Amino acid sequence: MVRAARTSVVALVCVVTSVLAAACVSCSHTTDPGSGQKRVAIITPSHDNPFFKAEAEAAAEQARTLGYEVLVNSHDDDANKQDQLIDVAIARKVSAIILDNAGADASIAAVNKAKAAGVPSILIDREINATGAAAGQIVSNNYQGATLGAEEFVRLMGEKGAYIELVGRESDTNASVRSRGYHDVLDKYPDLKMVGRQSANWDQREAFQKTETMIQGNRTIKGVIAGNDTMALGAMAALKAAGMADVIVVGFDGSPDAIASIKAKEIRATVLQPAAAIARMAVDQAHRLITSGSTGQPEKQAVDCELVTLANADQFGVFARK
Amino acid sequence: MAEPRLLGFVLRMRAFIALGVVTLVFSLLSPEFLTTGNLSILVKHVAINAILAIGMTFVIISGGIDLSVGSIVGFSGMVAGLLLSRGLVLAPFDTVIYPHVWFVVVLSLLAGMAIGAINGWIVSRLGVAPFIATLGSMYVARGAALLMSDGATFPNLAGNVSLGNTGFPWIGTANLGGVPVSVVIMAVLACAAIFLAARTPFGRHVYAVGGNERAATLSGVRVAQVRLRVYVMSGFCAALVGLIIAAQLGAAHPATGSTFELNAIAAVVLGGTSLMGGRGTVGGTLIGAFVIGVLADGLVLLGVSEFWQMVVKGLVIVLAVILDQFQKRSS
Repeated sequence: MVRAARTSVVALVCVVTSVLAAACVSCSHTTDPGSGQKRVAIITPSHDNPFFKAEAEAAAEQARTLGYEVLVNSHDDDANKQDQLIDVAIARKVSAIILDNAGADASIAAVNKAKAAGVPSILIDREINATGAAAGQIVSNNYQGATLGAEEFVRLMGEKGAYIELVGRESDTNASVRSRGYHDVLDKYPDLKMVGRQSANWDQREAFQKTETMIQGNRTIKGVIAGNDTMALGAMAALKAAGMADVIVVGFDGSPDAIASIKAKEIRATVLQPAAAIARMAVDQAHRLITSGSTGQPEKQAVDCELVTLANADQFGVFARK
Repeated sequence: MAEPRLLGFVLRMRAFIALGVVTLVFSLLSPEFLTTGNLSILVKHVAINAILAIGMTFVIISGGIDLSVGSIVGFSGMVAGLLLSRGLVLAPFDTVIYPHVWFVVVLSLLAGMAIGAINGWIVSRLGVAPFIATLGSMYVARGAALLMSDGATFPNLAGNVSLGNTGFPWIGTANLGGVPVSVVIMAVLACAAIFLAARTPFGRHVYAVGGNERAATLSGVRVAQVRLRVYVMSGFCAALVGLIIAAQLGAAHPATGSTFELNAIAAVVLGGTSLMGGRGTVGGTLIGAFVIGVLADGLVLLGVSEFWQMVVKGLVIVLAVILDQFQKRSS
């Protein structure tokens, strides 16, 4: 018995060691010490969302092209983990941090800490509720994008009919900004009636289940407007399963999956956020700041979104025009 | 004399009573609640949590806990997604095989059972506390799911006619005699589990191991083997759920299933199973899963905000456990 346990422990140790070895092999290209080479840190939410993966990869590619060593990390929308990653970035003496932050208020202290240590941060995608802490804040204009999406939704609905709205995580600024943009347009049409509104936390499966439940009470709905693409795709799957595939679904983000769905004549429209372009802009401005002492731009910059429909879906790639 | 007996009855039947109360409240507040359409959707939503909770019931009765089920849901869905989208890559032979859908299903289930077997092995042979062992595999399985696609979603699982692997969405969208496939799976699994728990030596051994491990050992129960099996069963149930969700959405996402383990544990506890082990029933767990499902769907139907939904769910779980304590003291 003791001997069996001992063999088991040895086996387990071997497994753990080999997994660690595999993990090190896979990350060796990012930890290459490179003598005298300048570094930038790129910190974003989890890469399991293609949006954040695309912006992180675009930023990393641009930084490597400009001759930087790149540290890529994910804070998983946890402000505490973000704080630790910024500590690590400061300790590793990066020249700049490109950050898609973990909360408009929860991130201010971390950005200030980096600034105090002489490391400038350029924020992308999400703003923080402070000015002067970051060297730049480049975001896509969520409000403008939402009005674009809502106008297309109104046109597809023929200015009338019942619809439901799926909202993103309610603690997230972009969820409320997009919803406000939608309603500033939709509420002008008295024949458009919202018969249900639920948060599906940006999640495809939650959107699927909540749509299934909501359409029980409202069999006559004509449209679903969603705060992002994964929720739009979840709603579409539920509508298809209920034999209601002709319901008009509009999303937001412009993810490759949503564009494929538009091409397959499932969801009707989405609003593309130029995430990849914004990430490259941020790296360029960080480079200018490091080399010449100024980004050459105002701190707050908003980049307009673009409407994607069946008519123009071919022109878009991964969060950017082709 | 009559009063304590009535109290005892209420306590024993608390999950039933809770289910009756929430059903009554929602049918009064929303005219759509008691329609066949809504009830069939409701049962479909409950099936996801109920299948996980059935596996979890055996683990908890045996005195353990399985925190890895949510990650196994994501992992097995990703295995199916990988096999359907990219095929089985046989690097040494430089070929790619696109297996038939049923083979994909079997491989995904085996993947879930393998993680369960590792849990069971670490718990039973190495004597690691179940909480720790399955906490570890929760992280490992989630990481493995993310590594499989580098974090991306496998978006289209409908298969390709030329590759001969179409038909996967059937599991999530088809009806058998008007009943969704996932509900049929839940019903079959529930019957099998009730039989297994109440009528077989294995079932009695699970209760014995959870009730008094030393007594079980002395009376000749092979404790380690029983432990291993309950975790394999839990892994199997979780893998089933992973397949159902991937088939419903027509997509496999690596983050699917996070926090599902907590919903499953909540259903088990609501159903009167003791977290100390040795006591509980599969039937109770099913009712617990229905209480949680009715609450979730009913509140959505009424248009109640997400935040209140969480508060209500939490209160109901705590209330159920308080009642459980009362029952233990009074019996």
